[in-house]
Amino acid sequence: MATMQPLLERYARVDFFDEFADEVGAPRAHYAGLAQTLRSIDWSDFQHRVELVNSVLLQRGVTFTVYADARGTERILPFDLIPRIVPADEWSLIRRGIAQRVRALNAFLADVYHEQRILKAGVIPWELVFSSRFYNREMIGVRLHKDIYIHISGVDLIRGRDGTYYVLEDNLRTPSGISYVLENRDILKRSFPQLFAHYQPRPVDDYPIRLRRALLASAPPGLSEPTIVVLTPGIYNSAYFEHALLARRMGAELVEGPDLLVRDNVVYMKTTKGLQRVDVIYRRVDDDFLDPLYFKSDSSLGVAGLMDAYRAGNVSIANAVGTGVADDKAVYPHVPAMIRFYLGEEPVLPNVPTFDCNDPAQMQHVLGRLDELVVKNTNQSGGYGMLMGPFATVEERGKFAEAIRANPREFIAQPIVPLSCHPTIIGDSLAPRHIDLRPFVLYGDDIDVPPAALTRVALSDGSLVVNSSQGGGSKDTWVLEE
Amino acid sequence: MLSRVAESLYWLSRNVERAETLARVIDVAFNRTIDRNAAGRERAQRMWKRVLELAGLFDVPDIDGPSAAQEAFSLGSFDADNRSSLISCVRIARSNALGVRAELTTEVWESINSMYLFVEAQSPAAIAREGPSGFLRRIRDAGVAFGGIVDATITHGDEWNFLQIGRYIERATMTVRILQTHDVADDSAAEWQRLLEMCCASEPFARAQRHSSEPSEAIAFLLLHDSFPRSVRFCVGEVDRSLHRLSETLPGTYSNECERVTGRLHAMLDFTQLQEIIDEGALKYASRIADRLSSIGAAIETTYFPRVPVA
Repeated sequence: MATMQPLLERYARVDFFDEFADEVGAPRAHYAGLAQTLRSIDWSDFQHRVELVNSVLLQRGVTFTVYADARGTERILPFDLIPRIVPADEWSLIRRGIAQRVRALNAFLADVYHEQRILKAGVIPWELVFSSRFYNREMIGVRLHKDIYIHISGVDLIRGRDGTYYVLEDNLRTPSGISYVLENRDILKRSFPQLFAHYQPRPVDDYPIRLRRALLASAPPGLSEPTIVVLTPGIYNSAYFEHALLARRMGAELVEGPDLLVRDNVVYMKTTKGLQRVDVIYRRVDDDFLDPLYFKSDSSLGVAGLMDAYRAGNVSIANAVGTGVADDKAVYPHVPAMIRFYLGEEPVLPNVPTFDCNDPAQMQHVLGRLDELVVKNTNQSGGYGMLMGPFATVEERGKFAEAIRANPREFIAQPIVPLSCHPTIIGDSLAPRHIDLRPFVLYGDDIDVPPAALTRVALSDGSLVVNSSQGGGSKDTWVLEE
Repeated sequence: MLSRVAESLYWLSRNVERAETLARVIDVAFNRTIDRNAAGRERAQRMWKRVLELAGLFDVPDIDGPSAAQEAFSLGSFDADNRSSLISCVRIARSNALGVRAELTTEVWESINSMYLFVEAQSPAAIAREGPSGFLRRIRDAGVAFGGIVDATITHGDEWNFLQIGRYIERATMTVRILQTHDVADDSAAEWQRLLEMCCASEPFARAQRHSSEPSEAIAFLLLHDSFPRSVRFCVGEVDRSLHRLSETLPGTYSNECERVTGRLHAMLDFTQLQEIIDEGALKYASRIADRLSSIGAAIETTYFPRVPVA
């Protein structure tokens, strides 16, 4: 009988922080129970579950669309059965860290669209904010209910060589991934209950209710029964499945742009019983496409007149229009300064050291070290528009160098962070693969951090890119009770 | 039609309905005990106790942790001596179907027969390895498919009406009994979510109640909603309609005891307000409804398939 025993014995990697094993290769305390379970399970059984889980994912339609693929193929996000475990003390640090961050980022948004104190104080350069493609002039002076801009965010965390958690990215526009958190847990419980033998992780299934609570709190004041809708770009969007899932679980209507219309600055949806007023729009459509009268005029995903209704205070949009300026990659290096400026606190979670190419000295430094750095385009996300220096060809590096010189504002560079590793099923063995962590933050009446986080895993050997569009997979993430 | 045939049809669909509901209830209980936190352990035990009572099991030892939950699953599903276990329901349904094979369409017969063969082919040990979810899902699907095949292939005459009556009286009874498993010491959102999920009502409830998730709204939904197909009011309405189709009595009137008690309960549910239920106490109200439902069952038996035929 092939058990997991030899696989666990063989499992080791020294150059990175390993979530599962300590320096001498023994399971860390919070993984001891899982290690014990893994040793008792027959390996062939594992293979069988992998097939089972994949067929369930397909049947449920837990799929995403890869844009580069001309046919718009629906794929399942590979789901690795070995769960990632976050002990209570680490979760408590994460929770405090990301709540602090979102609070400061929200204050920053309220500030840059109104008083601009942080710019006047010289803490963040004017030109950085005003040159951001995501700084939305239509939002200047617009008062939002409770001054909340970032109702839903996902903060990407990674762990360095010594296990320190770093913030890699703030996703403040339309972060996705929560549907995988919900489905991964449900499917793992159903298909492999034995894995939970020594654990009772904190449940994740109340996320949609918490999301609805946050959205209701954002509704224009004075309404007794606000109507929430989820605005999706439609079935071809890579996260359509997630939009449908959240709408269904919240009991909200899933709408597309043409389902809505604006009359006298009020948003309505077109129903079989006539027009019905809409009060809160949880939009999964980018700013640029929201309103053809203000932004891209050829957009059919949005609603003509939506911005007028929004600015008149007749509808709430979550997240607010214009939040992108706060998660602009060039603004990212300044987040620790924002935390100090608005909250008078030291950041709980550190940033990854970052070079800003807009600064000529830093740009020169970056150009000289292109073979060791990661270069990111500030206008792109999801692993698109990125150069992984050490793994790139001379030609690719040359192209980036050219682009950086032409448009320094659009690039930042970071040293390659040796992402932590986690045992992952690869073929018929267990191998260390790099992972990150995306916890989600809700901001309704107050900040709420549900114990629901997405662990993404880079499935190819040595790869540090975990994005689903770039061949990443995901894991169930068990947050342990405090 | 023969009284014997009517009785078999009635028990056939009652037992299919019960098997389907039990499968869902056990699945939800199982799924919800895996990742609850330690503080909820006692609550989880209480829940299992009540859930097993739905499957006719009383005086079971405390269910603690996933392996014990597995044990509970086997008890609730495969105990052939217990007439309310899942396997017993399927066997009873099939033996009733056997006796009325001539009255059933081939499609309906094959539907129940394949459900039966599927259950008989399972072993608790194999399911223990896989986890019960896949098995329970098949039972749920088979139960729902049975209802669809009945509706789509049998003439909507007397035979069909008896199948309807069995299905809906059982469904109403199970909804009430699930409500009665409510742990009054636990008013958390998770507890109400559990009750809704056990009644397959979680998403419909979210759609109907977009603004609040007050526990009392969930009670109202499960008892009084006019068009949710598992609410007690809806189910009693279906029983009422089928009884009137059988006797061709005008709606709102009655020609026998079961029409009278059904009509009375239906009217009561039609015109009850949530506040009255809250004032009386939801569990007390539910137990009153449960009594009424069992007297409807008794009246149907004495009216249509009496043990000692009326001269």
